[in-house]
Amino acid sequence: MPRGNRAGGAMVDPRRPVLVLNDVTKTYPNGRDALKDVDLVVPEGDFVFLVGASGAGKSTLMKLLIRDELATQGTVTLDGDDLARLPRRKVPHVRRKIGIVFQDFKLLPTKTVRENIAFALEVTGTSRRRIKPAVNRVLALVGLTEQAEQYPKQLSGGEQQRTAIARALVHDPRIVIADEPTGNLDPLISWEILQLLLRINELGVTVLMATHDADIVTALRKRVVALEEGRVIRDEVGGGYHRAG
Amino acid sequence: MLSFFLFSISRAWQGFWRNAAMSLAATATMTLMLLLLSSFWIVQAGFLASLSYVEDKVGVVADLDDNIRQSALTDLQARLAAMPEVRAVEYVSKEEALRRYREQRSAQGQDDLTPFLNDNPLPASLEVKLRRPADYRTVAEFLGAEPIVAKVQNIEDTTDRLVSLTNFLRTFGVLLLAVIGSIVLFIVINTIRLAVLGRAEEIEVMRLVGASDAFIRWPFVFEGALVGLLGAAISLGVLVGAAEPLSRFMVGFFSILPINVGSISRDVTILVLGSGLGLGVIGAWVSVRTYLIR
Ligand SMILES: Nc1ncnc2c1ncn2[C@@H]1O[C@H](COP(=O)(O)OP(=O)(O)OP(=O)(O)O)[C@@H](O)[C@H]1O
Ligand SMILES: [Mg+2]
Repeated sequence: MPRGNRAGGAMVDPRRPVLVLNDVTKTYPNGRDALKDVDLVVPEGDFVFLVGASGAGKSTLMKLLIRDELATQGTVTLDGDDLARLPRRKVPHVRRKIGIVFQDFKLLPTKTVRENIAFALEVTGTSRRRIKPAVNRVLALVGLTEQAEQYPKQLSGGEQQRTAIARALVHDPRIVIADEPTGNLDPLISWEILQLLLRINELGVTVLMATHDADIVTALRKRVVALEEGRVIRDEVGGGYHRAG
Repeated sequence: MLSFFLFSISRAWQGFWRNAAMSLAATATMTLMLLLLSSFWIVQAGFLASLSYVEDKVGVVADLDDNIRQSALTDLQARLAAMPEVRAVEYVSKEEALRRYREQRSAQGQDDLTPFLNDNPLPASLEVKLRRPADYRTVAEFLGAEPIVAKVQNIEDTTDRLVSLTNFLRTFGVLLLAVIGSIVLFIVINTIRLAVLGRAEEIEVMRLVGASDAFIRWPFVFEGALVGLLGAAISLGVLVGAAEPLSRFMVGFFSILPINVGSISRDVTILVLGSGLGLGVIGAWVSVRTYLIR
């Protein structure tokens, strides 16, 4: 698949695309065009920053990926499945291929760290026998083994976000979608969360992260997709938060 | 399948206790509403029994001529009994009429003056019990045309008024019960909706991590059933506790009514358990539906 604006010019990327948006437009029922003619291909194992001013359409794009919303025009394909044609009962299976992380963590306050993570497996019908080792594995991965029995209230913001990331990972997803995961955290903790996402990416998981954090984006030199009023205005590897120059 | 069932039940149990305040509020509402519903049901049952008791008293009394032939009497009794409107026919002889008269006098504490009479002045009569008071006129006219009947005692006005009153009261009772039933339905479903709304976060997380509709819905439905059954159990406990003193208080009144206590308590038990379970399940079902995959 040729992707001219990627490094290396019009080369064919040999990696399998895990995420493809083809000419996608999303118009909300109130008439608002949140996305317009968006084309985006994310190959397996990529790390992509999604940047843009508030209201540019970043969250909308992520809602399309988890089929919380449907595209008004164009197709959204996730790991080979056209989401618009997916029967309702298959939707949960597609969602299990995606790990989702939010700015506000979305942890359940009445459950401990361990229970919050296990919850994702319980409600998808995983047998008890397989839950425990899976939870222990991701607890170790995010470095929360010690805090496993604590409640979200007893954790720092960074630890809460790591819990949310662990929960997103416990299904062994192909792709992790993070909508401003560092939005509520101070810079030092933000870097910690980013290190974690990079480590996950090194394990082969595709990461798509929406952010306003210019420092992080500019420093990491990863692929950057910039949205402006619903359109992709820039898609380059190694770009900064702002247009170069 | 079985493990899904067990999972849903255990999640329902957990959900109930982890959100104890909300669950207990819902249970309390459920209990109050079931008590309201069952009290009205019981009042209604007593009320209907009173109405039939009163209606039962309506009959046609025909005084007979003296010295009629036995065959003419038997013939009239047979033809009356064959009428679809007639439930029972009783012959009251002159002697029986006199005996009843004496009994009535002495019950009222008045002197018995009958020994001073040479002759029994009271007529023999036929007392006809009706299936429906509304048939009064038909039967009275039929009896009036009979040659051996001296006079049909006229209570037509009273009967007409009684019939229209009981019909009105019956309709009113049913309407009232329907209104109460709708109010109960509305309040219970909204309470459960609020309880589910309080758990919107949990449902959202379930959706996001890829739980199927069944995994989201059934624990809530079981939890609704739990709230319903718990409310029903408490209501029945309260009713049983209240039944004893209440019936002692009312025994004088109710003993004259044709009330079947056994069948009423059975009906009320079924009503309370059925409505509790049904309302809990329906309430949870419709409340969760809003959150499922669109
Ligand atoms: N459910 C909705 N109904 C109608 N309009 C919506 C809805 N959700 C988002 N929008 C509109 O779509 C546009 C894009 O919103 P979106 O949330 O995708 O922006 P964003 O890039 O995530 O912004 P932010 O950085 O503030 O999170 C906005 O103008 C927003 O008002
Ligand atoms: Mg957003």
